[in-house]
Amino acid sequence: MFELDQGIADQLTEVSLNSSVQVRCGNSNSFMVTASTLIPLLQMFEMKGVYISASRGAAEVIQGFESVGIDVSQIQFIDLVSSGILGGTNIPYNNVHFVDSPIMLESILLRTLYILKTNQSERNFVFIDSVNALAIYNEDRMLAEYLHTFINTFRQQDVLSVILNVPDQTPPLVLSNLDLYCTDLVDRGQVVIH
Amino acid sequence: MQPVGMYSRDRCVTGVHGLDEILRGGIPYGSTVLAAGTCGSGKTTLGMEFLVRGANAGEACAHFTATEPSVKLLENIRQFGFFDMKMVDTGLINVFDMDVLYSWLGLEKASFDLDDVHSLIKSIVDIVNTIGVTRLVIDSVTTLCYKIKSEQLIRDFLFTLGKKLATLGCTTILIAEITSATENAHWSSFGVEEAICDGIIVLGDVERMGHLLRFLQVVKMRGTSHSRAKHAIELTPLGVMLTPMLKWGAISDNLNRWGS
Repeated sequence: MFELDQGIADQLTEVSLNSSVQVRCGNSNSFMVTASTLIPLLQMFEMKGVYISASRGAAEVIQGFESVGIDVSQIQFIDLVSSGILGGTNIPYNNVHFVDSPIMLESILLRTLYILKTNQSERNFVFIDSVNALAIYNEDRMLAEYLHTFINTFRQQDVLSVILNVPDQTPPLVLSNLDLYCTDLVDRGQVVIH
Repeated sequence: MQPVGMYSRDRCVTGVHGLDEILRGGIPYGSTVLAAGTCGSGKTTLGMEFLVRGANAGEACAHFTATEPSVKLLENIRQFGFFDMKMVDTGLINVFDMDVLYSWLGLEKASFDLDDVHSLIKSIVDIVNTIGVTRLVIDSVTTLCYKIKSEQLIRDFLFTLGKKLATLGCTTILIAEITSATENAHWSSFGVEEAICDGIIVLGDVERMGHLLRFLQVVKMRGTSHSRAKHAIELTPLGVMLTPMLKWGAISDNLNRWGS
């Protein structure tokens, strides 16, 4: 049975629009943590948002959210996975944008900015799912540089950035940079020291 | 804020997302700018958006197309939300086929001599003057210059054209096709365009793990300070969008030295 983590909603009441929140989760609780973060953003704070899906295809993410009653109509998805699968972009959702690959980091940023430009909301969030998935494809230094740019870009525009990561699958350089740049931490992850 | 007494030239605000920030306000008025790029790098879209933004502000604009027929050009550009066919219908954007112009001038020949070049310059300047064009795009100067066999004539053609258009207060983008936009490449096909123009904007691709990322880089722009960094670009329905390219990802795979 799916149970929301109310502590995340409580913690989100403390953040402002120009905050950047690092959300740490483990392998087993990532969906629960993601849903527990998104639901208050959509329902309590009535925000619109961009969901950058690097872990799984957007269709699968949408179906997962819909199965627990999350209305995804206020979210635009940027799918970084499905273009890598022949025919993967043939999905029945019109709120999904595709970027060819997770290595096209600047394209992801520009697509997000484009969506926000066409979005008529004053209260927006961008959600990266997830840093560890981006780390599969991108060199550590470049990913650290990207997250630095990404967070500062949206902070400057008063757009809340939420960065999901599984800490023991995230390169140490990237993780320490996230600790430095993010204003808030929602820690639901298990750090495994190898 | 600028120091007291510092002179700043008036700008032609391009309206292209990010480009005016790179140029610290826009292209200095009356400049001739070479937009040199590889195929598919976004040269035509950039040029057309430059005109559309001008037309939105009520400026008269002209586009001379030598690489594709105007009908095809307009069909391709209609997919972009920033473009409105009414701008063409109402005469704010005037599109001219170079082939038609050659035909009017009796220049349907394989190569141009000095008289032909002067006749061509005169007709372009006359059109600009008659319509009161303040933004002009020639797409592409490479195709046009293929008919001019001597390097000296090409130099004269571009220099004279740029000078006359500047006198009329017209800011011009000359689109040039190049085969490579890497560090050692020339920014023009004939090697003279880059020296004549007031500004050079290079468009190309960076290859990253088998994917091509478009980039734009302002190499030179007389009359203004500007960023010389590579910027990643996306062609969106709203127009060209730019963001600084990641420093660790700004060079192509075959040139970079990661981990070595």
